[in-house]
Amino acid sequence: MHIPDGLLPSSVYISGYAITGGVTWYSLRQISKKSNPQAEIPQASLLTAAFFVSSLIHIPIPPTSIHFVLNGLMGIVLGYYAFPAILIGLFFQAVMFGHGGIAALGMNAAMMGIPALLASSVFRFSNPLERKQKTWTGICAFIAGSGAIALSASIFTLVTLATISDSIDAQAERTITLLALGGYGIQALLEGIFTVMVVSFLVRVKPELLDC
Amino acid sequence: MKIQPLSFLLFCTVLGISPKVWAHGANISYQQTQAIEIQAQYDGGTPMDNAQVTVYAPDDPANPWLKGMTDAEGKFTFSPDPTVTGNWDVKVRQAGHGDLVSIPIAGNANGDGGGGENNTVQIATAPTSMNSGYTPLQKAVMAAVGVWGCVGTALFFARRKSSPTPAVHSESRVEG
Repeated sequence: MHIPDGLLPSSVYISGYAITGGVTWYSLRQISKKSNPQAEIPQASLLTAAFFVSSLIHIPIPPTSIHFVLNGLMGIVLGYYAFPAILIGLFFQAVMFGHGGIAALGMNAAMMGIPALLASSVFRFSNPLERKQKTWTGICAFIAGSGAIALSASIFTLVTLATISDSIDAQAERTITLLALGGYGIQALLEGIFTVMVVSFLVRVKPELLDC
Repeated sequence: MKIQPLSFLLFCTVLGISPKVWAHGANISYQQTQAIEIQAQYDGGTPMDNAQVTVYAPDDPANPWLKGMTDAEGKFTFSPDPTVTGNWDVKVRQAGHGDLVSIPIAGNANGDGGGGENNTVQIATAPTSMNSGYTPLQKAVMAAVGVWGCVGTALFFARRKSSPTPAVHSESRVEG
């Protein structure tokens, strides 16, 4: 789920950079307020690696194929670090594998990063250190994990539908874009389950890693 | 003289029949051209079948020169106008995904770009695929390099955090 270069109007790409610039500034400002801003860089780096590699593992769901995005999980673990981590991961994906593109980097970062920050906020409703709230923590993790990807897919679909050019068959493109939403629904379900598994593991092994 | 309505109708019909129908033979003409075949795939290798293709000529990049759809294998073939040289842009789109590729087409060795009958279309660097074109091994190596960069960053910051600890030990030893 990457918006590619060259398919959308320039105004969309410029708007994406404007949004990403603002959110990156806000995230870094929040990070700098921490007593030791460098303390969480190791886990941010490792999750950036996971995010970077996850785009190479494809699951074919017609009419397209999907891959894990992990933005919900990144939001849960990293909090405000998630947005710059996603931005860096997307940059390397674009440069090395051509996923997305440099022009679309801002749009893709906003599309995947803002839901990650919202996932972080959702997960704050839980308390993973409290063993009695195990089920509630799992529910919050599922909502955060699947909700983040569902929101990203919704933004992707809205941007796609709003920018169909006159040079193609708009009705056909609209139909297939809406059909692809079904595939994203399955992806959201899978990511939600995966997020619950990782969060459950972290709750048992190292709950202090969860940002809440 | 009275003209029968039926005879008049028959006369008009005979006059209206195309000469092609009168003939019993057939004629097939052909023209040798150089075509460009593109193949559109998703990153996972799945063909982009029935994706919408738009071709833009170098002399009019704003308006489509040709529209079409890829076949079941994600392939699309077109013959560019040999008199129009430059970068032919081919855009493939399906459900918001897609790519744009520029195919440089030069004129003949004289460089006049067209007009004469002896001109040939030369495809300078026509890509065979619209994905990144890396082999799985190359992708794996690149992914490993990227992951190692992130792991190295993590190790660097983890090391800086733990470095003050030995200093505390040495101080306590001196005090003891």
